[in-house]
Amino acid sequence: MVRPKSIRAPTTASLPSNLRIPSSTPSLVKSFGKLTRQALLDLAFQWLEDRNIQSFPPYLQGNEDEKEEDDEGLSPYPAERTINDVRNAYQELQLRKGGKREVIDRILEGDWRHGITLRQLAMVDLRYIDDHPSSLRWTALELARIGNQQSPDYSADMTACLPCLHASTFLNSLQEQIAPLVKAHYYLGRSTSLPLTFLRIFVTNSPYQHPRQAADSLTDSSRVIYIAFPDSCPFIYTSIASTPGSKASAAATPHAVATDPRSLQRLVRDAIPKALSLPHQRYTLKTTSLTAKSLQALLALRGPGRSNQSNGAFSIFADAALEGSPLDPRPSNTVSPEEHMNPYSHHKKDPNPPTETEPPNGQKAPKRPTPTDIDGPHVSRKRTRTVQSRFGTSGSLSTAPLDRLDARLLDPPNPSSKSSPAQTQSQTTPTLSLTFAGADVISGIRKLAELGIVDAKRMPSWMTGEDAVSVAVVRGGSRVVKDSG
Amino acid sequence: MEYDDHELDSQIASIRAEIRTLQHRRRILTSSILSSRPLQRLAKSHPPQSAQPKTSSQDQQQKWSEISPLLQTSAAHSELNHHRIGFSTTTFPFKDPDPNTDAPNLLGIRIDIGGKDGTYAKPYYILLRTGANAQGAREVAVHRHTVPAVVDLGRLERGFLPRSKVSTPTDGEEGEGENEMQLKPWKFKAKKQDLKGFVREVRKLLVVWHLRCDAVRYLREGLGVVRRGVDDAEGVYEDDERPWERDILGANAAAAVDVGGPGEETRIKKNDLGIVSLGPTALEAVYVRLEWEDGRVGRFKISSTGVVEKAVVIGDSGRDKEMEGVITGGGGRVETLLERLREHASRGRDEEPVV
Repeated sequence: MVRPKSIRAPTTASLPSNLRIPSSTPSLVKSFGKLTRQALLDLAFQWLEDRNIQSFPPYLQGNEDEKEEDDEGLSPYPAERTINDVRNAYQELQLRKGGKREVIDRILEGDWRHGITLRQLAMVDLRYIDDHPSSLRWTALELARIGNQQSPDYSADMTACLPCLHASTFLNSLQEQIAPLVKAHYYLGRSTSLPLTFLRIFVTNSPYQHPRQAADSLTDSSRVIYIAFPDSCPFIYTSIASTPGSKASAAATPHAVATDPRSLQRLVRDAIPKALSLPHQRYTLKTTSLTAKSLQALLALRGPGRSNQSNGAFSIFADAALEGSPLDPRPSNTVSPEEHMNPYSHHKKDPNPPTETEPPNGQKAPKRPTPTDIDGPHVSRKRTRTVQSRFGTSGSLSTAPLDRLDARLLDPPNPSSKSSPAQTQSQTTPTLSLTFAGADVISGIRKLAELGIVDAKRMPSWMTGEDAVSVAVVRGGSRVVKDSG
Repeated sequence: MEYDDHELDSQIASIRAEIRTLQHRRRILTSSILSSRPLQRLAKSHPPQSAQPKTSSQDQQQKWSEISPLLQTSAAHSELNHHRIGFSTTTFPFKDPDPNTDAPNLLGIRIDIGGKDGTYAKPYYILLRTGANAQGAREVAVHRHTVPAVVDLGRLERGFLPRSKVSTPTDGEEGEGENEMQLKPWKFKAKKQDLKGFVREVRKLLVVWHLRCDAVRYLREGLGVVRRGVDDAEGVYEDDERPWERDILGANAAAAVDVGGPGEETRIKKNDLGIVSLGPTALEAVYVRLEWEDGRVGRFKISSTGVVEKAVVIGDSGRDKEMEGVITGGGGRVETLLERLREHASRGRDEEPVV
């Protein structure tokens, strides 16, 4: 239930974390329903922890007395006497098997019947992202210093080259940047499975602290922007709000005109580098041509690790799959790449060696090969070697799954020197755009190369994922990098 | 019945694991024997091609010639390893398999850095592309590398390996570039590239980073670390409400950097200094955050020479200048920080009865 009448005046403060969305809002059931039963119980326990209980007080019998209208007899969940009773109730649910619906009902109609706060909703959403790291599409952006390109100063502290992020300071300055234009609720959370910090920004169009608009608009997922800050690297990832349902709900709300989610998103995006900047140390965001669903892939290609700048053929260096430590007495060529990558993993089971399959020789039509089509061990072994030299470990031992790879080929198609068999179908158009989509594009191309459908030797390097981008403009077989980014 | 099956399975699995461990050990030992000095010396004294017609050891001769390729490769390998250990930075040629590249021959640089536990981190690689500039002089540029973002390689490259500005054929800007070249020729004068300086600086920054991480790990070990789920029963504060902290530099730190894992969840053991948390604020391990039982929070900065440069300690009643002095004082070495703190604590205890 929205708080009792307070003074309604437009302010620039952020939406309070304890602003309650009425529990009867139907879309809350949907938001909660995305989570598993265990995740819901975990969240409930988290809300009931001693240090959190102030922020998420459950509905107790004491609250009941203050209320005038008393229809408690109808509720299937009578209010508990103490917080410990509430905890016990969830412990009981934890022990019992059952659907998640009873947990949701217990939360919405029982212990938090007076409303779910914005912060609780944010926690639900972040928990969902944690459990489903591929639920959103993320775009990687690079934080670049403005104005130090010309005169690199060695005397400056080279060790602290990354913008230092202090959560609350950053949020304050972000709020300062956005506040006059957008009213927002911010929630910072740490990922439990990845080295990331998530920032969830929920934007509304109302300048009032306790908006009177429909409660549904407080749960509208198209108004939510996620920003992920990976640890110790000059990149940030943002989600693009592309919920299919956003159009319909935006049309339903009367304020749809003023709050185009896209423009709100742009405002937030523009504010981030300004909020990170310090005097004499200004940052700007540059695009990096990488968009992917998998956060793992973004961390591998634009993350704090070793593999940002060495993929495709060079992934053997990123994974150190070529040579061992200088203390290893075994000659490098006698040790398998897997063992080089994980020097202490000889306890584990060896993965099965990949079986080589290929279509029969001389057959031009790309007939779907079956694993029994094997044309001589010699050809096969040679091809395996080529594939390994082109792809390194990417696509097999180490994966950064791209769900989409767009390539625009600027070369006029020339039948005599076509660089990939995939182009042959459409030679009449002056420029070609190729789009690969799938669960993991690069390893798919690797499979094709292993099968001999793609010529591993003459294939351009962007097909091996060497450039670590999801959108590439290609001229002469190599990627064209625009200075403007 | 099912239970028995499980037990048998687990037994079989453990036996297989042991077999693999032993095989691994055997391979290490064989290679060690092959590259050992006495055997190598013996092999040199028995040159395989010097056919000695007379005496005894026809079959022995055969044995030598059989194992001599193995001996040679392991000798070469151990020599390579000696170079890597001795010089830390080694180079190698690499051929870019990209058919469309105009500079297929790359110069590889490998940097090996040893940690405090006697193991080596995964080697860092930098692959350089060589080409000629407008004047025909040789120029190198970083093509690919595996240096983490902690070291800003791009900035070092701009500083040490400046490329003469050939007005690049980007659309529209070409004319402008040429115009500028005529107006401001000094801007286009090729600065000298300093490859040695570049590699030296990259290696220095990597080593310094590893040393800082080692120092923080050393401090944490000095206080005692409890890992969640492994040994969390002992030495934890009673009715501990603190959240577990992710240890980004823990035992699996290297793996965390590579795999992108969040690191283990850890806590600092209960200790006499009352420090409840000590850890780097980021992967760079430049700033270290401290937290005491009584709610004081501190932060200090480790310089690239291993000295505590700056320290701030703030409690409920404002800054704790005395503690700041203890952290930065006494030579300021980060390794002796705990000793300084202990000394300070014992001094405080001695003085207390007097006051």
